Amino acid sequence: MSTEALRPPPSRPLSPRRGAWMRPLVGGGLWPAVPAVAYLLVFMVLPIGTLLLFGFVTIERGRIVGDSFTLEPMLRALSDPLVWRLMWRSFWVAAASTVLCLLLAYPVAFAYGSLRGVWRTLLLVAIVSPLLTSALVRTYAWLVILGGRRGILNQSLIWLGVIDEPLRILNTDWAVLIGMTQIHLPFMILPLLAVLSERDRRLEEASLNLGASRTATFFKVIVPMSIPAIFAGLALVFAVSYTNFIIPQLLGGGNYSTLAVQVYEQTIVVLDWTRGAVLATLLLSTCFLFVLAIVSLGSRLSRWNEVRR
Amino acid sequence: MRLASGVVWADRIGMAALAIVTGFSILLLVAPSLIVLAVSIEPRGYISFPPSGFSLRWYEAVFANRQLTDSVLVSLRVAFSVMLVCLALGVPAAFASVRGAFAGKGALNAFLLSPQMMPGMVIGIASLFFGAYFAFRASDAMLILSLSVFCLPFVIRIAMARLAGLDPRLDEASANLGAGKLETFARVTVPQLAPALLAAGAFTFIEAFDNVTVALFTSDVRARPLPVELYYLVQFDSSPVIAAISSLEIGLSFLAMLLIARTVGLDRLGR
Repeated sequence: MSTEALRPPPSRPLSPRRGAWMRPLVGGGLWPAVPAVAYLLVFMVLPIGTLLLFGFVTIERGRIVGDSFTLEPMLRALSDPLVWRLMWRSFWVAAASTVLCLLLAYPVAFAYGSLRGVWRTLLLVAIVSPLLTSALVRTYAWLVILGGRRGILNQSLIWLGVIDEPLRILNTDWAVLIGMTQIHLPFMILPLLAVLSERDRRLEEASLNLGASRTATFFKVIVPMSIPAIFAGLALVFAVSYTNFIIPQLLGGGNYSTLAVQVYEQTIVVLDWTRGAVLATLLLSTCFLFVLAIVSLGSRLSRWNEVRR
Repeated sequence: MRLASGVVWADRIGMAALAIVTGFSILLLVAPSLIVLAVSIEPRGYISFPPSGFSLRWYEAVFANRQLTDSVLVSLRVAFSVMLVCLALGVPAAFASVRGAFAGKGALNAFLLSPQMMPGMVIGIASLFFGAYFAFRASDAMLILSLSVFCLPFVIRIAMARLAGLDPRLDEASANLGAGKLETFARVTVPQLAPALLAAGAFTFIEAFDNVTVALFTSDVRARPLPVELYYLVQFDSSPVIAAISSLEIGLSFLAMLLIARTVGLDRLGR
């Protein structure tokens, strides 16, 4: 390395090898990453391998019954219309909430770019504080807000005279959609924030000076510039929404189920680990497929933008 | 240059729409936490909004509830251990992936950050099944091991961002002035890295403390951590006592946020 070449040769005659044992840590090698890599191999890769395997074997008391490889549980799940219905619901709830997140997040990130000083800091606190607040606490907040007659939303709407009878929102798709959107909103804002707050303003000024309206500048200059960040946010929010089981369980009520909820129920309540493993495998693989689709659509769009320019 | 008045109007409507949506989003972001705080000071036995008075009786109820205080202790212990494990594994790993010069560095980075792509539930169930294979039951140890997988990318990401921003010439200068590798590391690199370590530690602590998706599968049934305890409570009850404990959690995350804001800056969290 260059440090080696730059150092004056006999600077430490008393202990020339002092600190030599530190070299692996501060030198340019792979060495310091070895413990983390080993840790992930043992505590992530092997366990996930086990999870995938458990869907294709017979299990008794948490142990694989010798030589019992079978495709039967997977085929049974794939031919079960209930599984497809649950997957469809997981998909559309996650997709709808992801799109809602984008619509709500973009203006916030855009506003952040044009704010300065204290207001900017306050907005940042508003964006980040939910991220650091337990998702369970925020789900509880939605239980309180949307809950039956005593729910805060119903109380306020009745008091304002907007409605006479309390709305039934809790234990419906709407509650799940609202909760999911609010809880994952910061995940969409943060990637946009980075791009929109450090954007090159001269492009907008040029566009405005050339006579384009603000609306046209917004859609033709600013939005195309942020396409990679938009799709990064979409992929992240879709993945966390699609695999979330806490929000559907608590806000959707006892009879509400999605693929992720079923994975939990089979593993923890029914204790059918084979079924749980099969459904978890389906959840994980479909999630990767959807995320892959979002990411490739994003890169195609931004390439298309480059060409158009 | 004169614009058509229609265009000006469209712009005004566009700006107004933008402002309205921004306001609505901000309300959506902060209102739930504020409502939880408001409900926690309710003097009566059920939820009403705005609260009918001010009382700390639900906070007293939290501290009088042995099950809740025990679960807080479990969570504190677990979160602290996870923080130590993640810092010990993550910081050196970040060194390798920023300063290292070797083939396959991109692959290494992707692998180190890959737990981010795994839903918490999948990490939890996988750990449960893997443990069962060795007759290793859900316990504090399993919870710490599985949560560390979940939290490792947070430390690595924050440490990497900070390391990438350091000027390697400072290290070279230190070496040129005769400092050894160890001295350079301890007196030049670590002090520059310290804010990132604090932020990474705080973020990991909070994520481990609050986690429910992994913990539901790997925590000890007899010594539940706080989020798991709350998860079961919330299903059957929405009494203000949950609001009180939630408010305490919100206070904790605010402390973490202050620490992160003072060290690496809040806007760094998303990158």
